[in-house]
Amino acid sequence: MMSPSRAQKWLGIGLAAVLAWLVGYPLLITLAEALGLPAALDLGAFEEFARRPDEWLALWQSLWISVASVLLAAVIGVPLGFLFARNEFPGRRLLGSLVILPVALPPLVGVIAFLFLYGESGLLTRSVQLVLGLTSAPWRLDGPGAILLVHAYSMYVFFYLFTRAALARFDASVLEAAASLGAGRRRTMTRVTLPLLMPALVGAALLTFMTALGSFSAPYLFGGGFRVMPTQIVVSKLNGQLAMARVETVMLAGVAFFGLWLVRRLDSGGQTTAGGVRGVAPGRRRLQSPGARVAAAVAGWALALFLLLPHMTLILISFVPPVSWTTEFFPPVLNGDNYRTLLAETERLRPVFNSLWMALVATAVALGLGGLAARLTLVLKGRLGRSLELLLAIPWAIPGTVFAVALAMTFSVRAAWMGRFVLVGTVWILPLAYIVRSLPLTGRSALAGLRQFDTRLEEAAASLGAGWSYTWRRVILPLLKPALAAGASLAFITTLGDFVTSVVLYTYDTRPVSVEILSSLRLQDTGVAAVYGVFLMVVSATIFLLWGRQEDV
Amino acid sequence: MKSYSWSWLGLLLLVSACDDGRTPLVLYSPHGRDLLVLLESEYERRHPSVDVRWLDMGSQEVYDRVRSEAANPQADVWFGGPDTIFGQGAADGLLEAYRPSWGGSVPSGSRDSDDLYFGLYRAVPLLIYNSDAVDADEAPHDWDDLLDPRWQGQIAIRDPLASGIMRTVFGKVLADSVLATGDEAAGFEWLLRLDAQTKGYAANPALLFERIVRQEALVSIWELTDMLFQRQRGAPFGYHFPSSGSPVIDDSIGLVANAKHPEAAKAFIDWVGSEDALLLAAEKAFRLPARTDLARESLPGWAIEALDQIVVAEVDWTLIADRGTEWMARWDREVRGRGE
Repeated sequence: MMSPSRAQKWLGIGLAAVLAWLVGYPLLITLAEALGLPAALDLGAFEEFARRPDEWLALWQSLWISVASVLLAAVIGVPLGFLFARNEFPGRRLLGSLVILPVALPPLVGVIAFLFLYGESGLLTRSVQLVLGLTSAPWRLDGPGAILLVHAYSMYVFFYLFTRAALARFDASVLEAAASLGAGRRRTMTRVTLPLLMPALVGAALLTFMTALGSFSAPYLFGGGFRVMPTQIVVSKLNGQLAMARVETVMLAGVAFFGLWLVRRLDSGGQTTAGGVRGVAPGRRRLQSPGARVAAAVAGWALALFLLLPHMTLILISFVPPVSWTTEFFPPVLNGDNYRTLLAETERLRPVFNSLWMALVATAVALGLGGLAARLTLVLKGRLGRSLELLLAIPWAIPGTVFAVALAMTFSVRAAWMGRFVLVGTVWILPLAYIVRSLPLTGRSALAGLRQFDTRLEEAAASLGAGWSYTWRRVILPLLKPALAAGASLAFITTLGDFVTSVVLYTYDTRPVSVEILSSLRLQDTGVAAVYGVFLMVVSATIFLLWGRQEDV
Repeated sequence: MKSYSWSWLGLLLLVSACDDGRTPLVLYSPHGRDLLVLLESEYERRHPSVDVRWLDMGSQEVYDRVRSEAANPQADVWFGGPDTIFGQGAADGLLEAYRPSWGGSVPSGSRDSDDLYFGLYRAVPLLIYNSDAVDADEAPHDWDDLLDPRWQGQIAIRDPLASGIMRTVFGKVLADSVLATGDEAAGFEWLLRLDAQTKGYAANPALLFERIVRQEALVSIWELTDMLFQRQRGAPFGYHFPSSGSPVIDDSIGLVANAKHPEAAKAFIDWVGSEDALLLAAEKAFRLPARTDLARESLPGWAIEALDQIVVAEVDWTLIADRGTEWMARWDREVRGRGE
């Protein structure tokens, strides 16, 4: 292992300081203000919180919904990852890309597509009702069940992607060694494969937990009386109860940190570089019997159809003119009115440009910073390395709402000597927030990639006379590419469709598509909202399909 | 490839940063596209040097935003929302006193005594129903009709926390209860019974209207302007003005404190309350003017008809302004989803 150079140390300190200022500091400010500081210590709001059973209930429900979402997502995503990484069957490549698409379903309006599909008068609901001859809808889409459905559907992708990426970096010789030592398939799986996958699985679990904990759209649209913390914060803020909103923010952040701590404990044994990357990934098993191949193909396509139903519904809604679809099973009129409405005014395309440039900038910057931070984390080790890693993880450990509210509170005050500037209302705050929010995605995937990366390769390159930049260009980056691509595409897509952070921080000049979707829904323009949603979906899907293709080559 | 994407980015940044030299005038408003686009184009036609920029959001969200931007206000004009919310904003020091040229024509009850905000339009809460599924005679004619067993599970309501209209309606129920019995217990009792009748709370108006149009629910509470728009679009909506009285809302306007473009803002406020602009909004966007000095016959037909039918309820607005926040928090805790 190389020891860090002086420059790397200073770079690490500088990066840690910037991250601390953007990530840790706003949280501290929020905590201080929740405690009534600096005026006087006032625990009134906390006492009020503690007295209210509904607040505790919301906290508890946030927690168990998130844990359940992780479990459900893992149960779906991990086997799928194995299926697609290890087996060969007809349509594998296309299907392998299609199963990522749930993540491309935009916020709010994507959830509304669920409503039009599985809701009381939804397409699928009415079909079932028709087939079974029922007089009323066979189920109701609300409460925790509905929230979990949406979460499991959209978040298994994290597990699937991370599992696949890790398996792609896997060294077949390890499996061969296990086999030649007499380990059966089961033993190889539990003692070799899974431990090696641990960093990836832990990363996916953390992502899923934090996304579920901060999830707003599903509880907001389906929750009804079912409270979770992010909706509580918004309600308190809307109702003008600022003190309560602050306490709720702090409590939600507390749960998030608890989750992060737990995950880091799980992860501490995950320093696996065993095996290096000398070998190639194990080849895919071809399903031999024709029956199995057909069965796999049919099951695969059925799954893909099921996964794509919400997308197709969203596209359908985008072609339904206002108030034309009432009690009919299928929309009676379909035309391009909603698209024409949108294209007729250039001003309505502004949010599309805004979202694109902000997502692009944020992803590019986060990719650079995240890669650098991940690298420094490993090189520096020690306390500095650990704090860098922690700072890198925190933006995901705090739900979007918490982060945005904290950022808005901290940077709406003019006090340069305290490191506080007025950024609220400027063009900069939203791209900045996007960068910070993207860092864990890019940083985490770079870290996972680097951890599986054999540093001896780098030493070999150095001893062969390769310089710093040459080593990066020809050795490190090519090997990290799958991991970086995964992180960058996730970062781009989450930023492009981000709602929870944007809605707090946007300004006239930076209003993104998601905010325009919200506003269209407020103005009863479901069709126009769907058009914006289709745009987000198409861009996200294109990026993923491109990436999936590259992954396969 | 890479350099291409960077130059694209640069171009995008350039375009988005572009300023055409006009004075920007930023409105935060819950009024919605139809009215805002109408006023924007008309005002810019009259004042070519001004660029009207509006952000559309819920009335409670306008308040939340203006408050969180207080150190660096982005909005110049706070355009729309019930006067109770403006009252909150005034108490927080978010508004600046400005008496527009038309200020005196607004009845004193519909404006702030310190000139911080003025009623501009009147929003009328009413009872709505799906006219394909329910006969006009059968449909609820008064608030208490909502509690009729016939509507059990047939009522959808817009989530009241985020909606100025619903807050006002619920506020009226509770304020009436205080007036009649001395406390709000009876009012909460009534709201609990309404909750028991309610099938679900819709997160936004789009979902509320979808539910009723698709006959998942048949009856709701909403507001006149939106109903007229929906009917114009062909939606199967009917409505009745509550016979015991409607808490008619003074939809107000005010100048944001420390606004970046105060002069442009004042000029806009002067114009938007002028007879011309009010009649334009009435004709094209179904807004009922708050000014009482406009000749009745100059108003469009729908407005004259509405003015004949509306029963204006006596409401203790001060009480709603004072207790509204606390009441809604209590409703959220103790009533939502609790009705048997």
